[in-house]
This record gives sequence, structure tokens and C-alpha cells, in this order.
Amino acid sequence: MNENPLSNATNTISQVLIGKPKQVKLALTCLIADGHLLIEDLPGMGKTTLSHTLAMVLGLQYSRIQFTSDLLPADMLGINIFDNKEQEFRFHPGPVFSQLVLADEINRASPKTQSALLEAMEEGQVSLDGKTHLLPKPFFVIGTQNPQHQSGTYPLPESQLDRFLMRIQLGYPNKEAEKSMLTAQIGDNKTIIKPVMPLNHFIQAQESATKIHASDELLNYILALVTHSRESNQFANPLSPRATKALLSAAKAWAYLNNRDYLIPEDVQAVLPSVAEHRLRSASSDFSTQGSLSQILLEAIDPIAL
Amino acid sequence: MIKALRPTEQLTTKHSVKSITLLILAIELVLVSLSLYESVFTWVMLIIGCSGVIRVIIYSQYYKHLPTIRTLNLLAVLSILGLIYSSFNESLLLIMVNLLVLACALKLMQARSQRDVYQLVSSLFFVIGCGFIFNQSIGFYIFYTLMSLILLISLACFQAPSLPIQRQCKTVLKLSLQALPISILLFLVLPHLPPLWQVPTSKSFETGLADNITPGDIAQLSQSSDLAFRATFQGPVPNPKDRYWRAIVMEDFDGKTWRTAPLRKKIQEQLKRQNKEFSPAVTGSYTEYDIMVEPTHQNWLFALDIATPNNSKSANEIWQSSNYQLISNQTLLSKYEYSVRSYPQALAHQRFTQIDQRLNLDVPESGNKKTQSWVAFQRKLKPSDDEFIQAVLRYFTQQPFVYTLRPKLMLSDPIDTFLFENQAGFCSHYASAFAYMLRLGNVPARVVTGYQGGELVKENNQAPYLSIYQYDAHAWVEAWTEQRGWQRFDPTALVAPDRIEFGLQQAMQDEGSFLADSPFSLARMSNVAWLNNFRLFLADLDYDWSRFVLGFDDTKQKDLFKLILGKVTPDRLSLLGLGIISLVALLLCLFFLPHWLKNRMDTTQRLYFKALDVFESAGTIRPNWQAPLSFSEDIQQQYPATISNPFTQITQLYLRIQYQDTNKHKHSVLNTKRTHKLMRNHLQKLKKEIIKNNKSPL
Repeated sequence: MNENPLSNATNTISQVLIGKPKQVKLALTCLIADGHLLIEDLPGMGKTTLSHTLAMVLGLQYSRIQFTSDLLPADMLGINIFDNKEQEFRFHPGPVFSQLVLADEINRASPKTQSALLEAMEEGQVSLDGKTHLLPKPFFVIGTQNPQHQSGTYPLPESQLDRFLMRIQLGYPNKEAEKSMLTAQIGDNKTIIKPVMPLNHFIQAQESATKIHASDELLNYILALVTHSRESNQFANPLSPRATKALLSAAKAWAYLNNRDYLIPEDVQAVLPSVAEHRLRSASSDFSTQGSLSQILLEAIDPIAL
Repeated sequence: MIKALRPTEQLTTKHSVKSITLLILAIELVLVSLSLYESVFTWVMLIIGCSGVIRVIIYSQYYKHLPTIRTLNLLAVLSILGLIYSSFNESLLLIMVNLLVLACALKLMQARSQRDVYQLVSSLFFVIGCGFIFNQSIGFYIFYTLMSLILLISLACFQAPSLPIQRQCKTVLKLSLQALPISILLFLVLPHLPPLWQVPTSKSFETGLADNITPGDIAQLSQSSDLAFRATFQGPVPNPKDRYWRAIVMEDFDGKTWRTAPLRKKIQEQLKRQNKEFSPAVTGSYTEYDIMVEPTHQNWLFALDIATPNNSKSANEIWQSSNYQLISNQTLLSKYEYSVRSYPQALAHQRFTQIDQRLNLDVPESGNKKTQSWVAFQRKLKPSDDEFIQAVLRYFTQQPFVYTLRPKLMLSDPIDTFLFENQAGFCSHYASAFAYMLRLGNVPARVVTGYQGGELVKENNQAPYLSIYQYDAHAWVEAWTEQRGWQRFDPTALVAPDRIEFGLQQAMQDEGSFLADSPFSLARMSNVAWLNNFRLFLADLDYDWSRFVLGFDDTKQKDLFKLILGKVTPDRLSLLGLGIISLVALLLCLFFLPHWLKNRMDTTQRLYFKALDVFESAGTIRPNWQAPLSFSEDIQQQYPATISNPFTQITQLYLRIQYQDTNKHKHSVLNTKRTHKLMRNHLQKLKKEIIKNNKSPL
């Protein structure tokens, strides 16, 4: 398989978001798998930078919605305004009509606004006053949220978390990365970033990712993982069939990024924490174990003895 | 990313593996030697303790140096000298056991190489085997089984150091459980050969009755709650007052000590050489019972009067003496079962020989003057034997005699002192005095020792049996009169009727001296109901164990064959053998079948697993959730390229076959057969390299 241009994308983004190659790769994986991404972390960890850079690298139309508790659905989706000249209502699209929407601090908005966005994410269209407005293609939402326990947040319900293909956490960079971040020419970065490929190439990449071969053994592995989450009594919320599909497509995208045209168990293991962690809920009320639910799942299944 | 998820592996270094193994071995040695506490000398025990401490210290890495060879050689020489010194007083067996244990301890102190570990393990197995010479009860059996398991676990730890201890235990348990049915089968069907060699015995092992009694020398009768023997009755069990178990007849008295007459012994030997066995005249009703006697390292057997062997096996193995004792041809080194028939009325109808008369009237001229004059006086008053005996007995009832286990010492003229001063003693005193008085009165009399009483255990569906303990030991008198023949007299019964009717514990209630020197004996606390039940349960368990496991000899085996085959013919026997062999084969099949099935999985998988096994035996185990590629990356980091390269190749080929789209690459990828060949080649290379790598000494 030829060197695909998306590998360049990883490198380019890593120049901006220093020291986070894994997260960058996962974010790209999510977009290749045509899924929405949820980034959860504390303020100032580079959530916005990551999403903005992604948009620029892929040459996507980008808009950002800052979610606040008084943000109304109309502020986001758009509004019908009566045009005096034409004597009719004209639709003024809101910021959601972009190829990549950064929904910043999504858990600060009221549930009503949250669900309006999540509906748009699922349907790929916006219905307003009986008229349907199609969203652009491709359409990605990168939601960022602060950790649940911060004040002034409305936690996303499980049903809506499920709409996000992946959830990643950025975490603190290590010392060297942070140092090189300080010495780098801040501000210049954004100007030097140019799209690594035309948009239609990206859409082609998405298509070829779906065609990656998944052998019987591998499908069995995915099924074993999912089944275990349902049969084990450790998980209050097991993985849904939607999660199964998400796991497969994310693994395929990961394999695509690794220039392989077939899936191996490592692909599944690599994406499982980001795909499954936010969909699982521990059966025990002990919160200290929640951080590693997907790890528990991984360790329960032997990938090669299937 | 995957690496971040993996828990940090703690690969134990080779050094600590060995020290763990040796630590287990040290614990094992200490425990096994503790179980031999009666046989192992205290100073040997101390050395064993030291070796244990050394191992603990080295394990905890508090101190890292083993004692030098010079130190150990010195210690060994000193120990040998010590053993040689002890060998003057102790039996050869004891010395040899001590030598073995000592050698283990010294080896443990300086063990460093693989060979040392193997030597220690096999020697410890031998020590455990020695344990069975001294202890054969079910409790010890369980203990030694446990010890063997621990030994096996230590061996497993040594062989596959990287596995966690839980897995080692599981493996060993699994293997042992698999071995269990096979060993039971072999125990049942393999011929039970007589022992090829005999354990040299000595006095110090003998338990139970002594072959002489000197009542005056004993200030406190030591008692033990150990089992002496068990008797299982086919019919009704005799009443407590009839339960006199004859063991030794003592006909020679020197004024202090009663012992078996030398003349009697000589005659017996003569008869034995001529193979002329004495058989008593038996009349009247009889009781039949089986006796399972504990190992005494003596030859005396126990039976109610007058007993004859009940089956041909017992008849072959038991010698009947002319004073109605039963004597085993073999020293009782292990539990022994025999079957007898007793005729309670027959004692009165025996022949009275010249020898009997000569032996049973012999009294020393000197000493015990008071008794002599008292008897002479009584004899003048009562010319008939019967009346004389009654008069003597009356003396015991009329005078304030006391039954006690803590008599005063009576060193000179013991019988005078006993009869006219102290008037307190236990059965030997009474029997000795009584027999002496009868002999003085010209009535042939002798002292018989054995056991009296026994605890009756009745199970719902089992034959009732009596447990006779060491504290049931007793001595009584037999006297001969013209009219009644041999007659049993028990002066103790006159003084302490409770002793005969209810046993020693009842009789000693006031004095509190029952088992006074073993305060924790369960038998002492038999008035606590549940404790007593527990004790009886233990006794029962031990009984069944002795009867069905230890007592399983070649006759029982023949009976078993008869039960299975109906009639023992060579054809049927060989058929049975074949059946057993195929049964064992079947059991083995059941064990190996999963492995065979596993081997039948597809070649790719199998070859890959083989490669994994190679690393497992080298100490690197794939966590069972780790995928192949990341495992091969780990291997690349842990092993030199010569090892990791073939494995990487194997992994690549494996991934290609397992996960690649076979249709798409039909023409480009090598076909499956060739891939397998390649995998095999790489596997060979891998094995070679691993062996080369492991050659570095432990």
C-alpha cells in the first residue's frame, strides 16, 4: 500500500500539538471513521488547538460554538428571518453549518441545546419550522467537555455520549514536550499549516478505510469483547451493537493510518479505550475502578485463542 | 499505546527463584523433622533450625553469603562424631534417620547449584518415607501427603520460575488429583509383597507392655492415651468384667521383679524349632473377633482367654505358647490384624504339667519375712487350697487398701511394705503380692499382664468394636487348684471394683491422676460431650483407616479379587489385569485428550503457540490478552536479535495467514503450505537460539 498522505497529517498536527502523537492519531482515526469526537479534559490542555489544527490540515470549513448555559438551539442551528423584500421567511444558517464544528464545553449548555446538536450530529440535517436543511458533507463535530465534576456542567446522558464515536483525553504533556512547546515560535504555527490534501482525497481515504479486510478471527475477537461486556457482571452499561460497529470502523481507520490493508488485534486494542470507555459504566459504585473499564475488558479476552 | 496498558511485569531473576525454592525446601525440612520429633535428636533439630534460618535470611536478602565450605565441613565432622557417640545408646535406624536429616540440613546450608536442589528434593522425599516408619496414623498420612505436595510445588517453582505461585499450586494439585485414581487402582491390584528388608529395632521403640514388672520401683505410673489395639466382634461383646486381654505371662519372681520364666522361653524355642505347636484343649462356647494391633515393636499379641487363631493366615503367623499366650512370628512394626476365637470357660480345663508346677511354686527364700510368716499362719488354719485363697482375698477386702496411681516407693521387702505398711498401690502391686502369697501357701500362681476393659464403639451398620488404650494396661493373677484348674483372680477388682467395671478414668476420679502427665489428652476430657464425640469420631476414623487402608494385605486383596471375579482363575485374573490397565489408559486418555484436541487446531495456530511455548519455558509469558504483534515487539526489546528475529518472522507469517484477506492476495502471498514451512524453519532457529541463550549457568 502506498504511503498515504494522512500520515503526513499526523506529523503536521504534532508540530502544533506537541507531545501528543497518540491522541492526534486517535483524533484522525475518528475522522477517517466518519465519527464525531469528544475530547474531555481540563481547560488549557489544547482541546481547541487540536480541533482547529485538524480542520486546517484537512482543509475543512471550520466553525466554533462556545457553549454556555444560556445558549439556545437557534443560536447554533440558525433562524428563519422574515425578509421584507421577498416577503417570505429566509433561513439564516447558524454556525453548525460547517464541515467541522467545534462544540466547545458542550456540557455547559442546557440539555435542550445539547440534544439539538446531538440530533444534528446523528441525522446530518437540521429541521426547522417544517423545513429540512442538509448539513454539509463531511460533517464532523468535535465536542470538548470539562470533567464531570466541574461546577456549572450538565453531564451528557449516556444516549448522547453514544453518538460520539470516540472520546479521548489529552492529558499533560511530558517535560520535554512542554519545553519544546515553550521554545517554539508561538503564533506562527497556524499560518504555516496548509491542507495536506484536497478534500476529495480525504473522502476517498474514508472510503478505502471501510474496505480494509477484517478476517473471521478478528471479528470473533471484537464479538468476544462485546459479549464479555454483556455477560460479565462488572459492567452496568455494556456495549451496544452501535458500539460494536463503532469499534470495527475505528479499528479499520486505525489500520488505515498504519498503512495496513487488514485488521489485526492490535488495531482493536488501540482504539478500544477511546471507543468503549465512555459507553461503559461500572456495575460497582466504586468510582476508583472506572478509569480502567476498557482495560478490564481487554484483559478478559485472549485475542489469539479464538 | 498498548504498552501503556500493560501492567508492569515483574520478571523474577534466576537467583531469587532458587532462593524461593530453597526457602520452601527449608520450611519443608523443618516441618518434616518436627513430625519426627521423637526420633530426631535435639542437637540435630537445632542444626536443622539453623539451616532454616540461613535460608530465610538469604531469601530476605538481609545477608547474602552462604556459610563457607570450611565451616560446613567442620560442622559435618562434628556432627558425625556426635552421631557416632549417640550410636552407643541408640538403635541403628535412629542414627541413620538422624544422619539423613542432618545431611539434608547441611546441604540446605550450602545449596547453590541445580544439582543441589534436585538432591535435596529427592532426599526430602526419602525423609518423608522415613516418617512413615514412625507414624502411620491418618493424621500423619494427611500431613505427609501435604508435605509431598509442597515438595512438588517447590520443584515446579524451580522448573518454571516465571509462573506465579498460584499457578504452580494449581498445576501440582491438578497433577496429583490425576495421579490419585491411578494410585488407588495400583494400591488395590498390585501384589502386596512382604517387606524386602527389615528395619532394625531397639528397645527405645517398644511401646505398650514391658516384659517384666517391678511394682516397688514405680512411684508414679505413667499413662498414655495411645491406642493399643482394637477388637471387632462378630457376635456379642463380652461384659466389661470379662474383658481380660492376656498378653504376657510372668512366672519368675525374685522377690521384687516378675518376669517371663527363662525356662519357658527355652522350651518355647525348642518347640518352635521342631515346629511343634502347643494347642490348648478348648471346650464350651466361644466368641470370634478380629484384632488390629498398633505397632509395638514387640511380639506379644492380645486375646481373651483362651484364644486360638481363627483362620489359616493367623494360624501361620501366630505361635501359641503353652501358657496360652499368642506370640507373633514377626515383630509388630506396623499395624497388624489377626483373627481369633476365645473360649472363656476353657481355662479351667487345661492340663497342668510338671513344668507348670515347678515354675509356679518357685519363691525366693529370703526377704518379705512378715508376709512369709503371715501366710504360714493362715495356711495352718486353712488346709484346703480354696479356703486359703479366700482367706488371702479376704485380707485385701478387710484391710484398708487403696487403689492409687501414685504409690510410695517400696525398695526393700516391697511386698511386706505394701501389704502391712503402705497398703496403697496399683494393679501390679496387688497382682504381685497376691501371687507371691499364694506361692508361699503352696498354691501354684503366676502374674499375667495385658489389658483390661476397653471402650465400646457401636456404629449402626458396623460390627461393634472395642478400643483398648495404653491406660487400660493391667496385671492379674492365675492360680491352679486341683478342683478348679487354672483360675483367674484379680485382687485389684476387690479393692477398686470401679477399675474393672468402668475403667481407669472412673476409678481415678477422686485422685485426679488419670492421664495426669498428659493434661491435653482428649481422653481426659471425655466428660465434655462434644469433645468426647470428637474423640470417638477421630478414633473411628483411625479405626477405619487402619482396617481398610493399612490393613489391606494380600488376603484382603484376594478377597477383593474374589468379590470382583467370583472365582479366582488365571484367565479371570489376567482379564482383570487387562481391565485395570485399560482403565488406567482411559484415565490417561481423559487427561491427554484436551491436549490432543488442542493440537488438532489449525497448523498456523499450533506453530505460533509452539513459538509462544518456547518463550514461556524461557521465562517470558505472553499476558493472555496481548496481541501477537505487540508481543513480538516486547520480545525484540527483551531478547537479542538472534532470538527476536525468527520470532518476528513467525509473528509476521502468523498475522498474514490469520488476518490478511486471502482472496485478495492469492497470487502475491506465499501459499499456506509454504508459509507453514517457513514458520517451522523459524521455529527451529528460535529453539536453537533459546537453548544457546539458556546455557549460561543458573
